[in-house]
Parts: sequence; C-alpha cells; structure tokens
Amino acid sequence: MIQRRILLPVLALVALTLVVCGAHEMGSTRVAIWISVDRYRVELVTDAQALADKLAAASRAAPGAALGAPEQRGFGERLRDRVTLAFDGVPVDPAVSYAVSPATRDIAAVVTIELTGPLPEGAQTLQWTYGWTYASYSLTVHRPNQGQPSVTWLNGGESSAPIVLSGPAPGDSRLQVATRYLRLGFTHIVPYGLDHVLFVLGIFLLARQLRPLLMQVTAFTVAHSLTLALSIFGVVTIPPSVVEPLIAISIVYVAIENLLVRKLKPWRIGVVFVFGLLHGLGFAGVLQELGLPRSELVTAVVTFNLGVEAGQLAVIGAAFLLVGVWFGHRSWYRRRVVVPGSALIGCVGLYWTVERLTF
Amino acid sequence: MFTTSRRFVIALAASSLLVTCPLLAHDFWLEPSVFRLEPGAAVEFRLRVGEHFVGDALPRHPAMLAQFIAAGPDGMRPVPGQDGKDPAGVLRIEQPGLVVVGYRSRHSFVEQKPEAFDAYLAEEGLERIAAVRATQKQPPGLVRELFSRCAKALLVAGPGGGSGHDRVLGFTLELVPEKNPYAMRVGAALPVRLLYNGQPLAGALVVAMNRGDPATKVRARSGADGRVSLRLSREGAWLIKAVHMSPAAAGSGAHWESLWASLTFELAPPLAPRPVKKPAQ
Repeated sequence: MIQRRILLPVLALVALTLVVCGAHEMGSTRVAIWISVDRYRVELVTDAQALADKLAAASRAAPGAALGAPEQRGFGERLRDRVTLAFDGVPVDPAVSYAVSPATRDIAAVVTIELTGPLPEGAQTLQWTYGWTYASYSLTVHRPNQGQPSVTWLNGGESSAPIVLSGPAPGDSRLQVATRYLRLGFTHIVPYGLDHVLFVLGIFLLARQLRPLLMQVTAFTVAHSLTLALSIFGVVTIPPSVVEPLIAISIVYVAIENLLVRKLKPWRIGVVFVFGLLHGLGFAGVLQELGLPRSELVTAVVTFNLGVEAGQLAVIGAAFLLVGVWFGHRSWYRRRVVVPGSALIGCVGLYWTVERLTF
Repeated sequence: MFTTSRRFVIALAASSLLVTCPLLAHDFWLEPSVFRLEPGAAVEFRLRVGEHFVGDALPRHPAMLAQFIAAGPDGMRPVPGQDGKDPAGVLRIEQPGLVVVGYRSRHSFVEQKPEAFDAYLAEEGLERIAAVRATQKQPPGLVRELFSRCAKALLVAGPGGGSGHDRVLGFTLELVPEKNPYAMRVGAALPVRLLYNGQPLAGALVVAMNRGDPATKVRARSGADGRVSLRLSREGAWLIKAVHMSPAAAGSGAHWESLWASLTFELAPPLAPRPVKKPAQ
C-alpha cells in the first residue's frame, strides 16, 4: 500500500515530464538526498567515464583516462565548484568521497559520489544545484516524517525550487502554523475525507435527538484525539495497511447497525469510541505525510485535530439543517431516509473494505 | 481511496510547477566501445549528450528512440538493447567490412529566453534563422523549439579497406562521408556530404573535433552540392556535427524545429600497424 502510494506520484511525475517537455533528454545521473534529524547525505550516481572526461577537461588533460582515487586531481574542490547544497539559502561545505562500481556485462561503470555533513540547526528548506551534467537528471529528497520523497527533474546548472524539509513554510509564526493546520484538518474531512464523512453521517442517521447524537460525537472525538496524539508522538504505531481497511469496516458496521436497531443501544457509544480510535490513527497517518513543524509540533497537532472536529460538526450541522430539522420527526423518516441512507453508506463502506484489503 | 487519489492530484500539480525546461544546445553522438573490431566480436553503443566531445550518457529510452539501426555488408538490422540501460545498444558484427550505425531520436522540446536563443543561433552558425528572426515581429515570452537527433557512427570489422562508408540511412538530416576514413591517412581531407530529406543541404556549418583536442574545431560551410571538405590532422576518434533549423510546423506548439546530425569514426595513426584497442571503460 505504501509502495503504491510512493510509486504512483513518481510514475505520474515521469509521465508528466514526458508530456510537458516532449520528452527531455534524460541522462543516467541520479541524485538522492537523505535528511535525518541532524545530518544530510547526498548520493550522486553518474557515469564514471563522463566524470573522468569532465575532470580531464577541467584540468586541460587529455581525455580517456580512468577515474583515479578521490584525493587525486583535486576532485573535492572541482566538484564543490559545481555543486551547491544550501539550507535556507546558506550553502554548506560537505565532505566529499566517491566509489567506482566497475562495468558489468550490460551496465557501464558508474561512480557514486557522497556528500555529507551536519544539518544546520533549525534548517527549514534545502536547495540543490548541480552544474556538471549536460542531460537532465532526477533529484529525490527523503525527509524525516514525510511519507513520500520529493522527486524533481533538473537540467545541468538549474537550481531546484526550495524543498521544504518538514511541514510548513519557513519562518511561520505560531499563529500561521495554527491557521494552516486548522485548515488542513478541516479539508481533510470536507471535501477530502469522504470515508470519515460517511462514518459521521452514519452516526447522525441513528440519532434523532440531540442527546444521543452529542454522546456519540463526544465519544468519537475523545477517541480520535487520543490516538492521533499517541501516534504522532510515537507511542502507538500501526501501519496504514491495517488501519485503512478497519476504517472501512467501521463504516459498514455503523450502517448495518442503523438498519437493524431502531434506538441507540448502550453498547453503541463504546463501539463508536473504539472506531474513533481507528479514525484517529488514520488522521495521524495523513498528518505525518503532510509533515509537521519540529518547532510547533503541539500547536500543529492540536489545531489539526480542531480542524477535523470542525469539519465533522459542519457535516452533522449540514445534515441536520437539510434533513433532520424538517423530516426528523416524521413517521416515514426511518423508512425513507435512515434505511436507504444507511444502506448506501454500508455499500460504499463494503466496497472500500474490499478495495483496501486487496490492493 | 480518496486520500490516495488526492495525493496523486497534488503530485501532478506539484510536478507541473517543478518541471521547467531551460537548456542550452548540446551535441549528441554515438560512442561505440570500439571503432575497429574483429568479425564476430560485439560492440556496445552509448548515447552521449554534451559539448567539446565530453558528454553524459543517456540510457536507452523507449519514448525517445525512433530508430536504432546498423547497415553493414549483410544488410540493415535493428540494434538491440534493454530499455533503461546504458550502454543503449549492443551489436555483434559477424561479417568483415564497414558498418554504419544510426540512432534517430524523437522530438524533445526546449524553451529559452530570446537572448539565449539568439546566442545559440550564433554559436551553431544558424545566421539564416537569426536573419529571419530580425525581420519578424517576435512573439512575447520564451522561444520554443523542437529538436531531434540523427547520430551515426562508422565502424570497421576486420581490415579497414572496402566500401560502404557512404551508405545512406535515410535520416532527415544526415552526414555521409564520401571517403572511407579507415583507408585514410592523418592529415588528409575527408569529403562529407550533408543531406536534408535526402537532398544536398547548402550553406550549413559543419564542425569537426578530435577526442584528443576537442577545443580545436575544424569548420566548413557546405557548398551548393551539400559538400564540405574537412582536413583531419590528428589520429583517434573524430566527431563531425551539423545543425539545421526551420520554422516549426503549424500546430506543433513550437516556433522552430532543429535537427542535429553527427558522425563519429576513428582515424588510424600514420604508417603504423593497426593498434590493439583496449575495451572502453
């Protein structure tokens, strides 16, 4: 599941590159950057003969020689002249090393250049430039707490756009972080979180009065806030491949119970609480992929959760105003609204369950 | 389901912002692992893009490859290879004689600022296009250009004599050597013909450079018969190239379309036995 999530955007990116550029001349050079909590590591894989020829041309020597040891021919200096890695606009001075992988039967010899160094304190963005290639190459950046790496195609000498290391744009104040994550939380329900919307509508359909509705919503909220926080702070980790199908099953359960039961049973609150725990894990997964600011972690988690809450209340409020207020007390409400609505929700949930289990 | 498709959309939107296509004009050539080999031996071909005979490798890419063929004494056949691999093609040459190998690419697309485009026209000897541009009202924004590659390499299996060097592959722009360079002495002149859609192309700049001294260029303009004569003063690998540009077809989305022809081969050292070639790195 995670594999597919990474693969799809990458494939889309490659396809789009072909469409936009009418197919660029994509070379064999690949650059990957790994950012950890306190260090960076750049791996630049390129054709060994091409690099040797470029070094020879730079030192006005005859081309065709093999690549020597890194300390020979001032490799580090020559490379540093053509590579810029900057954090928040300030270039760093990495340690340079390389290793040559000899040619095999059907693959040419490549050299892997490694640039490493400490991550500047509080770094928010990175920018990469490599001027020593004539073909376009891919830049992949792996960031902490980010589900999918960022992939860009660049030409020689072209600088990447600033790549955000984690979460929000640099220099955001607490208020900006709060606004941003409040909005992200809300939009994760409306319009993007159709599965959570259906679950909340399922809760709404069974409760004609305010009191049972509030009890269910409260149980759900307490539960998902709990697991969202536990998951973000690393206390609980459950893979999405487990959580996502269970969320779909929770929708099916609520819908079926709506069909079978006419009144709120005491166990329903407990069941909704348990399902709330699952949905919280789902929210946490999304929040991890969106990225979190290291400096304003608590602000982001709390406001995201509030945004999710606001989104759910908006769904319930809209359903109440559109349906509940007018028809909630009618005798045919259950027959014409609750039963078909729950059946529909149940079918969609069932479809998602199968889909999420099989892919 | 929903969140996955949302990520997909975000990735698409983000990538469309990130993908920009500035590029300078670079040469393109075919680099065989050896130019001379014994019949029955295999030779690998690498696609090179760069300048002054120093280039990066392009892996074989099915979306980019239009034609990759070899024409030898035993006829014409495709050059096999694996997609995504560098070297891009491998060929076993069974029969002695000259073999012409050709790679033709599909269109690529470049956008440049007008000033950068004009500088590139001057560098590639495309004054005719510069003159046309000077008389026209220029559209605002970047200059969009389609370009494609027509690269050839001339190899020999066995002794260097014989004919077949002037086989025409039928590329849109094609450099055709009119003498066999493997039977030539260092310092002699090589007549080369430039064909565009099979017809001689006059007034085009043809540039030759040697791998041992790529900064020194041999330049000539093609005559009315499409011919240039290039004096090749060094042994070793040579790269000859020419660029032709024309207004892009209506509806192509580009202003100009260019074709890049190249020819690579090797010149033997003077009056010496044939050297034993080391395998390429």
